[in-house]
Formats: sequence, C-alpha cells, structure tokens
Amino acid sequence: MKIRIGIPRTLLYYRYFTFWTTFFSSLDFEVVISRPTHRSLLEEGFKYVDGDNCIPIKMAFGHVLALQNQVDFLFVPRLLSLDPKSCFCPRTAGLPEMLKYSIPHLPPILDPYIDERHRSTNLLSSLTEIGQKLGKRSKEIKEAFQQAQKAFQVFWEKAKEGSLPPELFPTRSLPNSDKRIAVLGHPYCLYDPFLNFNLLRLLEDSGALVLTQEMVESKEIEVEIKKVGKDIYWTFGREILGAGLYYLYSNRVDGLIYITCFSCGVDSMIEPLLSHRAQRGEAVYFCLMIDEHTGVGGIRTRLEAFLETIERRKRFQKAKR
Amino acid sequence: MKLTVPHIGHLDVFLDTLGKTIGPEFIAPPKTSPRTLSLGMKYAPPSTCLPFKFILGNFIEALEQGADTIAMVSDHGPCRVGMYDVVMQQILRDLGFHFTWISMDDTQIWRDYLVRFNRERRARGVSIWRTLRALRLGWKKLRFCEKVEFLAHRIRPLERKRGETTRVEAQCIKLIHGVNHPNQLREVWKECLRLFDRIEKDFTRKPLKVVITGEGYIVINPHANQEIERRLGEMGVEVTRTVWISHKIAHALHLDCFIPKSKAKAIKASKPYLKYNLGGECNSSIGYPILFKRAGFEGAIQLLPLGCMLEAVAKPILVRVSKEYDLPILTFSFDENLSETMVTTRLSAFIDLLQRRRERSYLKQEKK
Repeated sequence: MKIRIGIPRTLLYYRYFTFWTTFFSSLDFEVVISRPTHRSLLEEGFKYVDGDNCIPIKMAFGHVLALQNQVDFLFVPRLLSLDPKSCFCPRTAGLPEMLKYSIPHLPPILDPYIDERHRSTNLLSSLTEIGQKLGKRSKEIKEAFQQAQKAFQVFWEKAKEGSLPPELFPTRSLPNSDKRIAVLGHPYCLYDPFLNFNLLRLLEDSGALVLTQEMVESKEIEVEIKKVGKDIYWTFGREILGAGLYYLYSNRVDGLIYITCFSCGVDSMIEPLLSHRAQRGEAVYFCLMIDEHTGVGGIRTRLEAFLETIERRKRFQKAKR
Repeated sequence: MKLTVPHIGHLDVFLDTLGKTIGPEFIAPPKTSPRTLSLGMKYAPPSTCLPFKFILGNFIEALEQGADTIAMVSDHGPCRVGMYDVVMQQILRDLGFHFTWISMDDTQIWRDYLVRFNRERRARGVSIWRTLRALRLGWKKLRFCEKVEFLAHRIRPLERKRGETTRVEAQCIKLIHGVNHPNQLREVWKECLRLFDRIEKDFTRKPLKVVITGEGYIVINPHANQEIERRLGEMGVEVTRTVWISHKIAHALHLDCFIPKSKAKAIKASKPYLKYNLGGECNSSIGYPILFKRAGFEGAIQLLPLGCMLEAVAKPILVRVSKEYDLPILTFSFDENLSETMVTTRLSAFIDLLQRRRERSYLKQEKK
C-alpha cells in the first residue's frame, strides 16, 4: 500500500499545489488533499486555535483536523523564503509548530525547512531530506523535483497569460469585457471561494474581466517596488503592492479590489500604501476585510456599489468626450 | 535639527544627555497619555498593531512641539516594524508635517549611521573625546535608570506602605535625569540606593516570583502594558522583566558582548520547541519561562499586542511549555481598548492560583 501524504488545502497550497502534488506523486506517494473549506470545518478548527491568529491560519487548523485520520503523514512546509530578498509571513513559517503543540494525536508532520537565503536549506536539499526520511533515494528525489519544477513552470506561465488553472477556478471563460477589475490579495484569500464568498465568480457573473497579481510580470513588479522607495520584504506583500501599483499607473483596470483578512500583519502595512496611491489614481479602489463574521449580504452590497461606481464613472467619461 | 524619537523605555534619557552636551538638540515627545493613543488611533490604519499607534501618537505630539527630525528603527522582516517607516512617513506627510526621517536600519547601522554621526560631529566642531564622554555618560544614565527599575521590581512587594517604592522610583529617575557630569553619577547612584534603603520593608514576606516575557515594546513600556509591573508588585509579586532597551540597542549595534548572555541562552532553551529562529522576541519569549522556571520562578506572563505575527506563534507553544514544565503562564494580548479592570481581575486570579499552588506544595513537603 502506498504511503498517503496529506496536504491541507489552505495557505500556500493555493500557490504551490502543482509543485507539491507533482513532487509527491512522481515519488510514488498517494497525495490526499483536504476538501474545499466549509463552515463546519472552520468551526472545528476554532476549538484548537486562539483568537490572535488570522482566519487562514484558523482554517489551516480545520483542514488538518479533517485530514488527521486519513493520512500517514501531513505535509506542512515551513517556508521562510524562496528568494534572497523576501520572506513569508512568520505565521506560515511557524504553522507546523502551532499545529504540533495545539492538536493532540496528529500524524507525523513533514516540515521541510526552506530558506533560500542559505545554501544548506534551499528547496532541493530540504526536500531531499524529507524524501530520504521516507526511504527514497536522492536520485529519484532529484528527478521528482525537476518534474515538479516543470509542472510549476507550466502553471506559472499559464497564470501569467491570464488563465487560472481549473483546479482553483473551474469553468472560467474569458469574457471580452470593457470592465476590467484587478483583484489583489494573498493567494489563499483570492482563491478560496469559501473565504471570499466566491467573489471572483460574482465579479465574472457581472460581466467583468478579473485580473490578479499573478498576471503581472515580475519585472514590472520590481520596477514598481523600486519606486516605493522601500524594499518590501514579504514575498506576497511585494507582489501585491507591485502588481497593484502596476495596474494603477498603467491605467489597465477600472477597479481595484484588495481582499485582506482580519489581523493580517502583512496586509495591515501594505494596504495603506496601496490605498493612499489609489486615491489619486484613475481606478476605483476598495478594500474588503474578511473575518469569521463576514456575511455574504454585506459583500454583495459593497460589490454592487463598487460596480455601480465604475459604470457611472465610465458614463461620465463618455459624456465628457 | 531638532531630533525626536518615540518613548521606548528610558531612551529619552540617553538622547537628552547627548542633546545637552554635543547635540543635536533633542525634543522628547510629551509623556505618553490617552491623547497620544487617541491620536494614533485616529490616523493609523485600523488593523495595525498597538505599538504603531503609540509611536505614531508620540511623533504627532513631538512634531507639534517643534521637532523636525525623526529617528526610527527599521528592519528586514519578518515583523512589520520594518514597514513602520514608510507607512508612518506617508501618514505624517498627509497630515501636513514637514520633517526629515532617519530610518535606522540595523543591517547598515555601522556603515551609514556612524559615518553620518561622525560627519555631523565634525560639522558641529565637537572633539571625539567629548563625543565619547557624552556617549558614555548617556549610556550609563540609561543603564542606571534601568537599574532603578530593576530595584523597584524587587523592593515593591516588600514595602509596608503601598506606593512608597513607586514614589522613590520616580524620584530616583528624576535625579538621574539631572546628572550632567560623569563624576556626579556615582553620588546620585548612592543617593538612589539610600532612598531605596529608607523604604520600610517587611522581610518576613515571601513574594511570589513571576517573569514577564513577550513582545518588546509592550514589555518595556508601562504605558502600553497598563503598568502591569507596578500592579503585580503592589499585589505582592516580585517581577523580572526580560526585555530592556539597553540590550536592544547593544544588539542592534552588534555589541552583544556588552550585555548579559541571557537572550542567547533563552533562544537555546527554546530549541526543543521551535527549532529555528523566527526573529523578533518569538524564540526568547518561549525560552525565558523555561530558564526562569529552572531558577525557581513560579509563574510567567506573556504580553503581546493583538495581531502580533511572531508572538502568535509563541502562544500555542507556551501552552505546551506550561504543561511540560509545570509552570502557569498567563497571556495578555493588548489592543487599544485597554481595560484596567480586565487586567486587574485576570492578574488577581492568576496570583490566587500561584498562591494556591505554593500552599499545596508546602503541604506536600510537610507530609513527607
């Protein structure tokens, strides 16, 4: 029987899932991914986590609890940084410990320590360590790693072109709309339909073209970050701010939505920077903060108002011409 | 140039000394008050942490007093303190203030700031000898202020008349503030000791011992933590604080050889629980309770601002530490809706628990 490795469907899953699943399945493991988030899962997680954490972390607890009895190992990578300039949120880095000390009777956690700022802890060597622990030879691991990288490349290029993978966003057609809306935020806020009440779908249904930060070239992001005058050191913060400013200044979008969750440390610093610049820009900007008590009604109302503003502005501009 | 910095511990004593002897002129922000916090709350983004709001309030009040240069630490993550400088500059400029911002990045402190400091010194025509003397005096005054606090933590639970130690503490710090020459310092320190000696003490009491760990700003500043140290002292508890501003300064200047090794030891003690260094005070706030438990302390208190990214990791781990080391740990997470009653109620319940535990352990010993 194959060894089953569980991957919780939260946090960095929404960015690196192709990499992880390809890596483990080409090493001949069975990959078990938890079901999409639902209410009871979230409430289950609340029992074990304290209120100081943000909602994605609470959700991670729920997902891990759901996987608990189905798998032999849990894969919760300890990502500190993937490039020399930036790092991830410390909560994601400390998640394996939080899980280990909060939930009793967990299956063993595979927590590769990945910090690309030092050579001894880079991605390949950390994954090799994990693979060897599971009884694989380093040659096999290297092959799997290369395959995973290739798969991730394909995913990333597709994302750049503007088509989000069907795993995250099923049955999506690119409408030729004149309403272009950029939606920014951490990947787990953007692509978890439970967390943002299917905001991307609501937007598409209203006939808007949704753009995300993945569709901005990293070159453009670097250029925008240089203009800010501060080397933003969070990977996602950097991406969000750079992409947001790119959309704002290049006049490519009519509206900008920032999805953030309550008590997110990264967003609390990035959001004021972006909103300050958006006030002077052409695009309509709104920031949506989500917590456990957010209801779909509130979001729909705000979204309607937002879309209405965009339309009115468009009519106004046409009349001016 | 009129320099200002936020209120963090007795940092103002150090800069005030420099300002009086060699310049630049230093303007201390007004004492942190409810107005400071409400100013901070009004202009800060709502989801930032409590230190941001206090520091922003300090800056607004200092700029109102006529300061024109702000010095503030910066960092390279993962804590959000590294982003304070950009966001705060933006907010203050929007409010219409004009100022120069010096952001003290700890990775470039030797390269940039000491060279800059030296250039300004030369421009002002102050000799190196005088500069070094002023730095030494400022540093000593800062250390003596901290020593006074340390003494007060020890003596407060023993005082017969409540409030006596707090009064003496304030008096001593005022005395140290007034020192202008290194030779005076020794006299003043003796005077401080005399004042502390004169407090009536009850040595029959056996105060409970509690260590305070957690996020630096909240632990250091009594205005941010509801004067938790004084409250505990008056409830008859001997407190030890683990974060001192002088240690932080020395650490930022890469001069760790001049400070006690306790932080390194604490990080080492936290290794079984958190294998890698996350940054901030996360590792040491796990390690300190372990170290102090070994030294015979009976409880620990962790302080953090709501939404702190690093301490939130330490919190669940401390629950396990508490179980494994049989050490009660109380966690306070502070936000701007500080309530005095909440703090006192929880503290008195915690102390009750500690006392009960002590009685029980005495009973056990007697049975044996």
